[in-house]
Amino acid sequence: MLQHGNGAASAGPLPPPAPAAPTPSSTPSRGPSRGPSRRRLLTGAAGAAGALAAPALLSGCGTDSAGSGGELTFWNFYGPQHGPDPAANRQADWFVKTVDAWNATHPVKIRLQFIPQPLYLNGSKLPTAFAAGEGPDIFLLSPGDFLRYYNGGVLADLTPHMDKAAIADYGTALSSRTVDGRVYALPMEVEPLAMFYDVAAWEKAGLSEADIPTTWDGLLDVGDKLRSKGPAGLVFETAPGYFQNFTWYCWMWQGGGDVLDHAGQPSFDSRATRQALQLWQDAVRHGIAPRTDPAAGDVVGAFRSGQAALWQSGIWQVAAFRAAAPDLKYGVFKLPLPPGGQYTTTLGGWSFCANAQGRDPGAAAEFCAWALGRSDEACVDRMVDWCTVAKSDVAPRTSALERGARKGGYDFWAMKKFKDEVFPGGRAEPRYPPVIYKAISDAIQGTMLAGHGVAGDASRAADSIAAYLKSYQGASLV
Amino acid sequence: MTSVSTSRPAVADAPAPAVPRSPRLSRRHREWIAAALFLAPDALGLLVFVAVPMVLSVVLGFFQVSGFGSYRWIGLGNYRRMMNDPLFWDSMRITGLYVVILVPVLFCVSLGLGLLAKQKLPGIGVFRTALFMPYVISLVVVGLLWKFLLDDQVGAVNRAMRSAGFGAHSWLGDPHLALGSVIAITVWVMMGYYMIIFLAGLQEIPAEYYEAARIDGAGPWRSFRSITWPLLRPTSFFVLLMSTVAALTGGLDMIFVLTGGGPANGTSLAIFYIYQQAFVFGEFGYASAMGSFLVLIMVIVSAVIFALTRGGRFDDGE
Repeated sequence: MLQHGNGAASAGPLPPPAPAAPTPSSTPSRGPSRGPSRRRLLTGAAGAAGALAAPALLSGCGTDSAGSGGELTFWNFYGPQHGPDPAANRQADWFVKTVDAWNATHPVKIRLQFIPQPLYLNGSKLPTAFAAGEGPDIFLLSPGDFLRYYNGGVLADLTPHMDKAAIADYGTALSSRTVDGRVYALPMEVEPLAMFYDVAAWEKAGLSEADIPTTWDGLLDVGDKLRSKGPAGLVFETAPGYFQNFTWYCWMWQGGGDVLDHAGQPSFDSRATRQALQLWQDAVRHGIAPRTDPAAGDVVGAFRSGQAALWQSGIWQVAAFRAAAPDLKYGVFKLPLPPGGQYTTTLGGWSFCANAQGRDPGAAAEFCAWALGRSDEACVDRMVDWCTVAKSDVAPRTSALERGARKGGYDFWAMKKFKDEVFPGGRAEPRYPPVIYKAISDAIQGTMLAGHGVAGDASRAADSIAAYLKSYQGASLV
Repeated sequence: MTSVSTSRPAVADAPAPAVPRSPRLSRRHREWIAAALFLAPDALGLLVFVAVPMVLSVVLGFFQVSGFGSYRWIGLGNYRRMMNDPLFWDSMRITGLYVVILVPVLFCVSLGLGLLAKQKLPGIGVFRTALFMPYVISLVVVGLLWKFLLDDQVGAVNRAMRSAGFGAHSWLGDPHLALGSVIAITVWVMMGYYMIIFLAGLQEIPAEYYEAARIDGAGPWRSFRSITWPLLRPTSFFVLLMSTVAALTGGLDMIFVLTGGGPANGTSLAIFYIYQQAFVFGEFGYASAMGSFLVLIMVIVSAVIFALTRGGRFDDGE
């Protein structure tokens, strides 16, 4: 029988046995032509594999959230990056410039870490990092997530690092980021919602400026006329998530409804809620609004390709139009009202936050305040730059809004309309925790896309919210 | 030949080679050590990346976890919450529907393709490769590709439907169609892989059996029923088990890209709901409890499949 590793012997007659012949497996040095033995080869291979794998494994054990050499990390979805979108590049440059300015004048350095937007907004990156105790030192937070992070104890108090004048300058823009008079997040922008329409599609449908709707019925009528020419007549957000809730709240508020009353008690099951749910349901049921976002949610792309003619979206689209389709003619109008309703819109926008459990919460909080919460010229200019040059937003601080206007940042007709007509009367996006968000989301999705009865879904959501509030412990929800 | 035959006893009778041996270790012990060393890397990997996280996940199910590092023992609190959570049971219902439709469809399509791929036809290699291709593409890419193809307005599928005189549909936006669309796409992705498994099983069946059947006058259907189907039993068992487990616990990537669990939770599989609770809402304890429950369901379903198919063994126990 052949032994392993001795296959060559079978090719011909076996050589005469030598006295005390060693077995092949034990003859690594029998002759130069035989090379290393299998055992040595395996040992060497295992060693090499181990040497190759060790750095990768060891680096996997480390953390990317903590900067190296005493640096603080700043997770965001803007920069540093460079791509084909000039608007995105301008925004990335603003972040880089801001951090560079800090690093040039402060001993504690900050390193930007770019997290792609889908991963940041709905992904697992931020929650996983915090769950592992490896959250970034500074990060961006939306109002919808504020309470979860505050109740989790990871938001540092920014109040001691801010000027009192700056707090006053922010005014009500801080209300959804304040707990017991203390500021835990600093808004970098205010983003009101309005209706955007494609002028070419509008005219093709035989509509003029006189047809701009001021009521919900008028909105559906216009949408119906627009869709008869091909594109989606009226687009409401269709994907379930915080963003869809954000775009829907204003329709409910216009009728006087709310999720919670001023005392924090559930008030979701109301006539205003039902009529807002009904509006979106009617738009889909009659084929005026699509069931999925045209052009994967890209408003500019949808207008340019004739896939949509009227879309509820935010002020950030002004920068997107300017960068991607400067020649495309579009219009903006305030959200129409229900019968007897009062105008309002939802004001979104992200904030700078400091991690209270980070490497240096004091320095992180100092950075947030230095960047956005001081009364010096540079700080106000920084906000003006972000809201009118890098992006297209309403500045959350009165001084920055006024200075931006003086500098011509709101001279462009769309920015002027947002500043003077859309923004006043707006209301900040609420800070409801996930269970409440989910109950509202299910009601919107169920009525809009599954055709459920609005009364039943509103009542079910209200019950879920009421049940949750019985055991809720944390900061005020309103 | 002669020299070979005479030399063999010489080798066998040769005195024991002077191999340097460890005085303490027998050959059996050395083999044990070698086996252990060869198995150690894999065992270590399984222990660190599978066994320990599984145990931790089960333990985590008994805690309320804030998502920010605080843990509070609540015993069966998460399980009680799960029992009273209509969204969880809704996701389990959708998962059940997904499994019950996906697994048989995938099985039949893969088997059919396996039978086709077995034919000795010109260009059959290209056919096999083309069908296997979707399996090697990233699921995220697959999701984006199909999202584009199924777009309500400009998607190729709706364009074709309109050209053929049928109305367009919202394949991913209508709760009555979305789950079916996801299942169809999953079949498209997975069928190539299971086709290859079936093909391997089919090629194991001796051609003489079919030859004999043909001589006896058996047609294709009779040959399939009496030869192919019974002899494919181990392969069928493997495909059934693996596709069931994959359907119960997979699909997250596809759902995440295609529908985000919508419309109206219509594609919110249990695994997606668990992901959402853990990574969107930070409810890691609750998600762990639901994950443990899902594993339990998977074990029970696997045991049932084992029992019903006798582990894929032939009737004579082989």
